Amino acid sequence: MNAVDVLIVGGGLTGCATAWHLAERGARVLLIEAGELNGGASGQNAGSLHFQIERRFLENGPALADQASRVLALNRLAIEDWRILDQQFGPAMEIVMHGGLMVAHSDAEVALLERKAAREAEFGVPTELLDATGVAKIAPYLSPDIRAAAWLADEGHANPRTITRLLAARAIESGATVRSRTRLADVSRSARGFHLTLESGEAREQIRADRVLLATGAATMATGVLFNLHLPVFPAGLTMTATERTAPMIGHLVQHVGRRLSMKQTESGNILIGGGWASKLQRGATSFDLSCPATIDPDALQANLRAAADTVPGVAALNIIRSWTGIVALTADQLPLVGAVSRAPGLYVAAGGSGFTLGPTFARLLAAEMAGERDGDSGLALFSPDRFDHLNGFMG
Amino acid sequence: MSGMFDLAIVGGGPAGQAAAEIACAAGLSVVMLDEQPRMGGQILRQPPRSLKVRDWLPGVTYRDLKAQLHRAEALDGLDWRGGVSVLGLFPRPDGLRLLASGRDGRQILEARHVLVAAGCYDMPVAFPGWTLPGVMSAGGVQAFIKSQQIVPGSRFVLSGTHPLQLLVADQLRKAGAEVAAVHFAQSMAAMAGQVLRDPLLPLGHPRPFRDAAAAFANLRRAGVPVRFGQRLVRARGSERLEAAEFADGTTIACDVLATCYGFLPQADLLRQAGCAMQRCARTGGFAAKVDRWQCTSIAGLGAAGETTGVAGAEVALREGRLAAIGVLLSDGLLSESEAEGRAAPIRRELGSLQRFADLLARIADPREAIAGLADDATILCRCEDVTRGALIRAISATAGPEDASALKLVSRAGMGVCQGRSCEHAVRALLAEHGAAPGSGFTARFPARPVAIADLID
Repeated sequence: MNAVDVLIVGGGLTGCATAWHLAERGARVLLIEAGELNGGASGQNAGSLHFQIERRFLENGPALADQASRVLALNRLAIEDWRILDQQFGPAMEIVMHGGLMVAHSDAEVALLERKAAREAEFGVPTELLDATGVAKIAPYLSPDIRAAAWLADEGHANPRTITRLLAARAIESGATVRSRTRLADVSRSARGFHLTLESGEAREQIRADRVLLATGAATMATGVLFNLHLPVFPAGLTMTATERTAPMIGHLVQHVGRRLSMKQTESGNILIGGGWASKLQRGATSFDLSCPATIDPDALQANLRAAADTVPGVAALNIIRSWTGIVALTADQLPLVGAVSRAPGLYVAAGGSGFTLGPTFARLLAAEMAGERDGDSGLALFSPDRFDHLNGFMG
Repeated sequence: MSGMFDLAIVGGGPAGQAAAEIACAAGLSVVMLDEQPRMGGQILRQPPRSLKVRDWLPGVTYRDLKAQLHRAEALDGLDWRGGVSVLGLFPRPDGLRLLASGRDGRQILEARHVLVAAGCYDMPVAFPGWTLPGVMSAGGVQAFIKSQQIVPGSRFVLSGTHPLQLLVADQLRKAGAEVAAVHFAQSMAAMAGQVLRDPLLPLGHPRPFRDAAAAFANLRRAGVPVRFGQRLVRARGSERLEAAEFADGTTIACDVLATCYGFLPQADLLRQAGCAMQRCARTGGFAAKVDRWQCTSIAGLGAAGETTGVAGAEVALREGRLAAIGVLLSDGLLSESEAEGRAAPIRRELGSLQRFADLLARIADPREAIAGLADDATILCRCEDVTRGALIRAISATAGPEDASALKLVSRAGMGVCQGRSCEHAVRALLAEHGAAPGSGFTARFPARPVAIADLID
């Protein structure tokens, strides 16, 4: 039976980056991916690098907002991680950090921005509030109706279509084995770690692994079943849209504090529009069928485009050429689920929220923890899956 | 919301007209949408009303189709909407929603049944020089002649594998153009060999053979060389096309090179909606799988004509009839036996027509003619300027993509305004050449045609 130090399940950004970090440390790493590398949310998202408090944290009341604000500590690390990736990989990742604006149209939204900036200051994220004049100076493409914006100089975007594969290639060059179209079919505990059954097409193979990382995004709940565990992340379908290529127009990441919206212009000239508008998950017999792509909801799409045109009027004249959907994972308290699962020694998980922006940081911290380099709080304590351990109290 | 219809037909060609005729006669409310301002489809692409054309598409070939077109245009119960592109189909609890756009902006319709009869488009073939101005598809040239009475050039070369190029060349000649040559990549013997596999078949379909033979004879009489075994390898020219070059090294000076290798189903709407599709082995492209009443795998959504596999207008209009009879059956307006009774003669004709269509597809098989045409510098995706060489580098990279959709993401091939209609079959072929399983092709996305944000949100 083949034995590895670490089996990573899931060929998305976090899985591939963790494989790279661990392989660099000399660990024997096998990464398996049920479909194609980068086939899930890592490749389907629109590539925002957002480090301000997310709008979704603000729309469910102050208690959740306070709690979610604590993710800001991780955001600060993520800014550094993306700058390092840019140095290590060069232009292929198309990492652009020219700043981001979260804009406000109404008085109430301006007040919300102010509260948000105060929280960010508390956690050391250097957001700056701009009035209408300041906004117009930095971002003349924005609607003159924009009353204020929160500016964060480190925000930007990167290319989700290429990054995961570049990380996977680096992992392979560092000695990791990466196998796509291979799924985890069965698991049992061994004296030290796990016996695992892998399946690729008709072929089945048994391996042994000391540690297992589940970096399976929205599929994490289903993957947890193999370990007889509830790993409570919930799928959500999102919609994104690309315009035709156009001359440079939007130089920043643009978000809206009162409406679901994110916009940026890629290196190729396309403007990408998203921001959390729903697509429809397919219904299976007893749960959502995540093997089918979510479908576009034309009403949500139109609302998304309306928000975009209200914020950057110049986009109204542009053609859209493609709308697509992706499935992300959310948790009950909006914080990601990252770290060791104490109930199953050797098992780690990374899922649940902002996995593109935070993925490189999850990967770096997890790799250190899995390699036993943990020195006090790795920064992940807040996101420990053990906070939901009560759900597994009856799992035997 | 601008209406709830019993039946929405996407496409005003023979299949759509035939379905409309039956559905309207049964009293259904029917809307027909088409990108062209006038009904007819590509086969009967009409000139604008303001253009007086004498003897538009003369000849016996078009006679019955024109009669059906005139009947369809006169249908009382038909809500005709020309100049409208359907962008997406969305299943609803009791039917489908269509999101469309046209000159007057956005249109949202709902219909209990939708029939997609969106026809086909010329198979794009990438070879060195194919993006030079002056290189066109034969179907494109024909559309100019049919709808605008324009000859888009002065000296034409037609080249490919599909016999349609004889008809286009003859139409060009009649319209006053100089046709320098018509070149088939395959040998005369190979074409004849296909016919001889089923020697009696042409007797049952004298008209298409007579048309092709007449066009051939006309061209010969006019001194136009029609040659076989002449494989096109390159379009030459600096700023624009100057000559076509063939495998034996000969070149022919021309300002238009019209290629004619076959046709691909226009099935983006159905792929986007998630219908079960099947790959067209010879030309590439995907056709909708349908049942015996032309229903796709999605409830309420039917397909007829070239969208279900390219087989010509005669097949298309019969499939349109079957689809409409199927709608009447599902609405309880016909009993099972009435529906079967009406369908029986149509199915009999279809059987024989389909065999003829298969023969034509075998004769025109482009695979040998196009294999290896593109070199590494040849652009395969002309929307995003992605060359064959760049695609090979992407496929060969460590942790590189294994299927067409993944290759699209890393290479940008298929990410442009045409959504890969032009390059998908070439990208799939390239993946297969490199030992990958290309999968089900690019994922078709909303909108099926580019649409301005302002038009969608007005």
